[in-house]
Amino acid sequence: MGILENKSRARLFYKYLSKIYDRVNPFIWNEEMRAEALELLDVERGDRVLDVGCGTGFGTEGLLQYTDDVHGLDQSAHQMQKAFEKFGRRDAVNFYRGDAERLPFRDDAFDVVWSSGSIEYWPNPVTALEECRRVTRPGGQVLVVGPNYPESSVMQKLADAIMLFYDEDEADRMFEDAGFEEFRHVTMGPAYNPDIAITTVAAVSE
Amino acid sequence: MKESLMDILCDPLDKSELELEVDERDGEEIIEGRLVGTVTGEVYPIEDGIPNLLPPDMREE
Repeated sequence: MGILENKSRARLFYKYLSKIYDRVNPFIWNEEMRAEALELLDVERGDRVLDVGCGTGFGTEGLLQYTDDVHGLDQSAHQMQKAFEKFGRRDAVNFYRGDAERLPFRDDAFDVVWSSGSIEYWPNPVTALEECRRVTRPGGQVLVVGPNYPESSVMQKLADAIMLFYDEDEADRMFEDAGFEEFRHVTMGPAYNPDIAITTVAAVSE
Repeated sequence: MKESLMDILCDPLDKSELELEVDERDGEEIIEGRLVGTVTGEVYPIEDGIPNLLPPDMREE
């Protein structure tokens, strides 16, 4: 069992990680990869988009390039503090504290749900994916960027110890169990390690 | 949070409707107040404009 499977420990972990997260981003998840992931979606201006586990707001920033109606949810206020500094508490983005596995949104509330660098911390990823599907309207899309392997050897050891990594077979199982019928995976990463992240884009059935 | 967000929000526990109670507002923005589950009775605070919709078992100790 990884230590982050205990949610209160996850919050404590984030509290300290958020102090360094944006300055020394320990994960390989850069602007090029973010742009590639965004291109997999059909976000139109005016679409309402949710960023689950928005953290310091790196994914949120990318989503704002496509639409003005962006909503960010995270369990950790410490993580979101960085996002508040970038976007303001209530200007460009609507922020909420909440749990990915128990989303506080009505059915079909969003056109697109995005989550990057968060699934590896979800104790029950299938439950959270079901929630993503529930709050996305029929015909909408859910995109999840899965675990990226850290660059530094210290963070690699930490990652191996506490985080959930998965391959395409495991991703198939999770998305099927969460009720998705149509989805595909794209691996991405820097040239020296192009398969480091797994991005899944799923369609929500009409 | 903007008052219009009531159209998309629900109680995270059972997805039932929430009721908004406002202590301080700035036009459309709710600065301080709370969201109350109409079925669960659970109280979710709005703190400096940010609604805290964490289920009670995940709130800070």
